[in-house]
Amino acid sequence: MNSPTKTKQNKLIIAKEMLGNLVDRRVLTALEVCVRCGICTESCHYYQSNPKIEHTPYYRAELVRRLYRRFFDPVGRVFPQWFGAGETTEDLLSKLAETAFSSCTLCQRCTLACPFGVETAEIMRITRSVATATGNAPDILVELANAAIAKEENAELFRDIYLDQIKDLEKEVQDILGSSKARIPVGEKGARMLYVPLAGAHTIVPQAVLFNIAQESWTLGMFEASNYAVFLADGVKAKHIAERITKEAEQVKAKEIIIAECGHAYTTMRWDVPKWRGSPLPFKVRSIIEVLDEYVREGRLHLDSAQNSQPTTYHDSCNLGRKGGIFEEPRRVIRAAASDYREMTPNRLHSYCCGGGSGLVAVEEWADIRLQAGKLKAEQIRQTGAKIVVTSCDNCRHQIKELSERHDLGIEVTSVSELAVKSLA
Amino acid sequence: MVTAGLALAGAAILVAGTVTIMVAIQRRPYQAEIAPTKGSPGQGVLYAFTLGMAPWAKESARRHWVAYLRGIVFHIIIFVGGLFLIASPWLTEFPSLLRVSLAALFALGAALTFAGFGMRLSDPALRRLSTPDDYFALALVTLFLASGAASAAQIEFLPAFWAISGITMAYVPFGKLRHFLYFFYERAFLGLVFGSRGVLKWKHE
Ligand code: SF4
Ligand code: SF4
Repeated sequence: MNSPTKTKQNKLIIAKEMLGNLVDRRVLTALEVCVRCGICTESCHYYQSNPKIEHTPYYRAELVRRLYRRFFDPVGRVFPQWFGAGETTEDLLSKLAETAFSSCTLCQRCTLACPFGVETAEIMRITRSVATATGNAPDILVELANAAIAKEENAELFRDIYLDQIKDLEKEVQDILGSSKARIPVGEKGARMLYVPLAGAHTIVPQAVLFNIAQESWTLGMFEASNYAVFLADGVKAKHIAERITKEAEQVKAKEIIIAECGHAYTTMRWDVPKWRGSPLPFKVRSIIEVLDEYVREGRLHLDSAQNSQPTTYHDSCNLGRKGGIFEEPRRVIRAAASDYREMTPNRLHSYCCGGGSGLVAVEEWADIRLQAGKLKAEQIRQTGAKIVVTSCDNCRHQIKELSERHDLGIEVTSVSELAVKSLA
Repeated sequence: MVTAGLALAGAAILVAGTVTIMVAIQRRPYQAEIAPTKGSPGQGVLYAFTLGMAPWAKESARRHWVAYLRGIVFHIIIFVGGLFLIASPWLTEFPSLLRVSLAALFALGAALTFAGFGMRLSDPALRRLSTPDDYFALALVTLFLASGAASAAQIEFLPAFWAISGITMAYVPFGKLRHFLYFFYERAFLGLVFGSRGVLKWKHE
């Protein structure tokens, strides 16, 4: 049996090894280029909501930078104090883990504020990897990632239950459309699109309604789009979880994978999975938002903005927007579906994170931290006077709902798909 | 003669150090975007090095306009200082108006750099996070520009300028001053990633 001292030493050795291996060109550059000028300070929603040094982007990155220099810099190894590096202890590893998981949503807003473009989020991402490898990651995220893998391994066990549930949802869709022909196909070979939902009927029923109206050739995925291993920055598990979906798309011979309204699931499948595989995917990957925008523009979906006259605003998910370039697509659909559309300030590229991203909403003990960090978003929403907040990410939706309760915003939070269904002409 | 040797030795260390750093960077893995692009990586890089750095494109620059402007101005002056160093063996042939102008420019640069001590010490967060490396780098660059100003005005200071330049250049690969090299990489990565994804582009709809 390992003694506690030996375990501690092992953790430090693992941390050092992992840090050495994970620092790629982008992370090395981010570690080296920061001059500690403080210009990025207010760009972070944590700092805006609670201004303290620990909430500045450069403080977070500096913790890792010092550790890195102590381990690997020729001067830092001999004179760590020259770079402000202290002792490397297990406490430091825990502090780093907590910072990376609870005090940074990897939103990358600070990157655009920095004169150099320092990618603090990339530094925090590898810090999450180190924390996961040394057993310092939040248990719930580990459990959720493992559960996703177990679900694939036992797919046959849950398949029938899932199909029964979908049958019930199909009835709902038929009721909404007043047509017994409306369908939610599952595992249908030859369908053009594999639509990958989240766990929740709100990511299946409205989309099924819209697909049926647009007469789309589609089939519903067996597995949900969310990938908790991405939050853990556990590359091996994340790839495994994502492969459940790509395998299914191959099985049904789909031409496109369509991801539900979920920020990280979209970025993962659209941008990360090809990198993990080392080759582009053999199918197109789009967000359901892009598909709905196409339907509206092509006249396959007729929305009537008069059906929604309440003041409506849109919250840009950091993953879809700043990290994915999806800015105008949701806005075009919302404008077609709501008559009083208002922008938050700032928005699009410069939108503030709601505070719930990168797995924070899943960790109950951090509810206070994230709700405090979301204070700024609550304020932005209040200033628009909107009664309906549309967002195309389930984590943002969850967070904004809770922000509404805490800050008494009196708003309804909905998705683009749900809003579209409400405005069907 | 000795100080000219010091400057040359410093320059040699700077070049060797820069090459070593570049090799070390290249040795690290790099994962380019493989997915079909949504925008243009080339446009992203161009944007990152031009409009993306414009103060009006950044809310942070508007908020910290003194620090931002100071940074831009003194970095330009340091660049001119480098050119001056290369040309300094022929200082006697410089027209006097040019020498006076350079002296004034470098004096301004030295003052702006020196102001960095004040900015660092007066801000509690920056004070807490500043390292000996930060202060040493500030001191070296301040001295480099101050001695440049002095030698542009009075040729007798040229040996001191060469000596300080030599020490400064020799320190570059070992401390914070090496950020000058990483700057180009960081902006390029930013442009490549965000350009591919259609995030950074000349004009959004
Ligand atoms: S991250 Fe950029 S803006 Fe922030 S302190 Fe570092 S160099 Fe300055
Ligand atoms: S990535 Fe986002 S949350 Fe993290 S430090 Fe930067 S602005 Fe703050």
